[in-house]
Amino acid sequence: MDYSNLRRQIFSMKKSLFDQGYLDEQFNQLEELQDDSSPNFVEEVVALFFKDSSRLLTNIEQALEKYPQDFYRLDSLVHQFKGSGSSIGALRMKNECSMFKAHCSDRNLEGCRRSLQKMKREHATLKQKLETYFQLLRQVGPRERAVNSWK
Amino acid sequence: MAAAAEARGGDFPVGMKVLVVDDDPTCLVVLKRMLLECRYDVTTCPQATRALTMLRENRRGFDVIISDVHMPDMDGFRLLELVGLEMDLPVIMMSADSRTDIVMKGIKHGACDYLIKPVRMEELKNIWQHVVRKKFNENKDHEHSGSLDDTDRNRPNNNDNEYASSANDGGDGSWKSQKKKREKEEDEADLESGDPSSTSKKPRVVWSVELHQQFVNAVNHLGIDKAVPKKILELMNVPGLTRENVASHLQKFRLYLKRIAQHHAGIPHPFVAPASSAKVAPLGGLEFQALAASGQIPPQALAALQDELLGRPTSSLALPGRDQSSLRLAAIKGNKPHGEREIAFGQPIYKCQNNAYGAFPQSSPGLGGLPSFGAWPNNKLGMTDSPSALGNVSNSQNSNLLLHELQQQPDSLLTGTLQNIDVKPSGIVMPSQSLNAFPASEGISPNQNPLVIPSQSQSFLASIPPSMKHEPLLASSSPSNSLLGGIDMVNQASTSQPLISTHGANLPGLMNRSSNAMPSSGICNFQSGNNPYVVNQNAMGVSSRPPGVLKTESTDSLNRSYGYIGGSTSVDSGLLSSQSKNPQYGLLQNPNDITGSWSPSQDIDSYGNTLGQGHPGSTSSNYQSSNVALGKLPDQGRGRNHGFVGKGTCIPSRFAVDEVESPTNNLSHSIGSSADIVNPDIFGFSGQM
Repeated sequence: MDYSNLRRQIFSMKKSLFDQGYLDEQFNQLEELQDDSSPNFVEEVVALFFKDSSRLLTNIEQALEKYPQDFYRLDSLVHQFKGSGSSIGALRMKNECSMFKAHCSDRNLEGCRRSLQKMKREHATLKQKLETYFQLLRQVGPRERAVNSWK
Repeated sequence: MAAAAEARGGDFPVGMKVLVVDDDPTCLVVLKRMLLECRYDVTTCPQATRALTMLRENRRGFDVIISDVHMPDMDGFRLLELVGLEMDLPVIMMSADSRTDIVMKGIKHGACDYLIKPVRMEELKNIWQHVVRKKFNENKDHEHSGSLDDTDRNRPNNNDNEYASSANDGGDGSWKSQKKKREKEEDEADLESGDPSSTSKKPRVVWSVELHQQFVNAVNHLGIDKAVPKKILELMNVPGLTRENVASHLQKFRLYLKRIAQHHAGIPHPFVAPASSAKVAPLGGLEFQALAASGQIPPQALAALQDELLGRPTSSLALPGRDQSSLRLAAIKGNKPHGEREIAFGQPIYKCQNNAYGAFPQSSPGLGGLPSFGAWPNNKLGMTDSPSALGNVSNSQNSNLLLHELQQQPDSLLTGTLQNIDVKPSGIVMPSQSLNAFPASEGISPNQNPLVIPSQSQSFLASIPPSMKHEPLLASSSPSNSLLGGIDMVNQASTSQPLISTHGANLPGLMNRSSNAMPSSGICNFQSGNNPYVVNQNAMGVSSRPPGVLKTESTDSLNRSYGYIGGSTSVDSGLLSSQSKNPQYGLLQNPNDITGSWSPSQDIDSYGNTLGQGHPGSTSSNYQSSNVALGKLPDQGRGRNHGFVGKGTCIPSRFAVDEVESPTNNLSHSIGSSADIVNPDIFGFSGQM
């Protein structure tokens, strides 16, 4: 099978994700960890992240509804989300989290709400893009995937 | 730790055993993978409480711990402290939060490193240096310390360094005898494990309650500002103890004091002995008299206390709570906001004779018969308005908060009990009335020293022998100062003198910091032996019902009632201070589950302090107890009994037996012995401290 085309696509997609700021260096670190013994490591981690982060987003949303004045709680929830996102290199989301936290410390409820909406959008976008990315990767097969040559 | 290295046959750092604690599953998975890439041996744990249990069960199973700061069930800093105190393992903190003040906090709590998320591989590759460094420093301690074995006591202390590690020094026989057998074995095993640089296997210095008491006495005597290791060593006059040991211990102690001072959040931690919590802490035997009394110490309070205590070797203050009601140990639970922490109570020391305190109600399993504090309301005691205030507190503030809270808002807090509390700097805060008010918690910094024991009011004080009458420890007005720890703060804030008045005995946690040092009056007199945490009698702020505070006052030899020695977690029930006779309970709460399981033998953290005794007053009183309670207590696995109870936990005689006769006085409820000192077995101490 000729992977060169696929590899080009994958490479280009990845590059675009980086260029547009969706991902950062941490994502590379994850890919470096992938090897024969854990060939789908990155995909697994990303899947885990999205699962967990959806729950977190729901919590944040609920907290905004139920305890709108509790900025400490909100900050705390977003902090978790931020830490999680940063672990996979989700740069834009991480930045949006920082914005949210800033709104919290200003006690700006409206700002928090807007930020949350942005976070959700970023979350959804990244999820979709990465899904596409991984689909491409799957097509090349594990061996190829593990090769970091096209980083 | 070295065990791992040794086991691996010198292939270090390959195979180094790392425990990663983080509630974020993504992060946990990534870290694990990275650490495996570094060829370490990795164990992950999403819950801090579980991690602590694992560590306790298998102290030598890990070489280094990496922990997140922000976790729902326990504040990472608290875990850090506990681990540092109980297991003395290097802990690396990590967080997405890179603010300088938070990082600083980590360092101050003893983290050997602080990583900002996302953590990179390169950073993880280097973490083995922390393990080596720690070992190396410990060895240096060995070499320099003049253990009896070595007979190089005279070695000049050129390194006036204060090793963060607990003194691992060649203990001399006296320490050994105190150590529990298990501990000794552990220590020896530790020694064997691999410390490459150490040549001789010296037993670790165990900062037993007594020892800590002596330490505190010495520091008090010199004045915290002037206390230098050399002089402290001289004053303590403990054979085999080296300047390095003292220096290292002093450093920890200072950190603790600072922390207490900073935690002024006034989140009162109820010292309620968790009635339901049934297990008071690890101590099992110890009861927090004070706390127990009410049995309601919310775990948080206890935890907070404990944390506070643990955080620093402070002793728990035992506030003399003499009567049942008065002795309430406010168990402050640390971080309870999440509700999780249970307060491990350090079991108070009860044993002291008569429980003068009556406060220890038997009701609570762990706690001594402290009069019920009443359930601690979960609302924040005195806490501020925000509902989460407590919650917030939980993290760092802890213990102090509790005390402070109590102090600050006496009314609000304990449903009125606190009011009378005159919080004394010494940290023993005994709200005059039962501390019901303490909210469960959250905020309470774990370390809140148990000292806070609502002491009864006047009557209580009245009963205290004149000498003991000190101003109540709890200074209701002084917001800051956690009861226990308050040492720094307490002194400053409250006018009352610190409870600690250790007579001769070593007051483990009590430190009279400057000013308030309460002269013997009132404070627990440890007459006989070391009063673990002397609780100032009056100081105990305990007005009407001193929570299980121990009072170590007078009464004879008491068993030191260390209020608790709870396990490390926060609640240091140590507060018990009590007035006279009652042994002080150091409420110690085990972080893990405070309730009740106090096993007398708790391990009191390295500070040896079994908290139990609520050291009254003096700021540091909680110190001791805190230790005990703090973390050490529950150490289930550990046998250390430092400070616990064993001996000292009960507050010896000091407590005026007569006065307190109330039924609740028996401190030793759980511990079993009423009036008499705790069984040596449990604590590993023989006789009193």
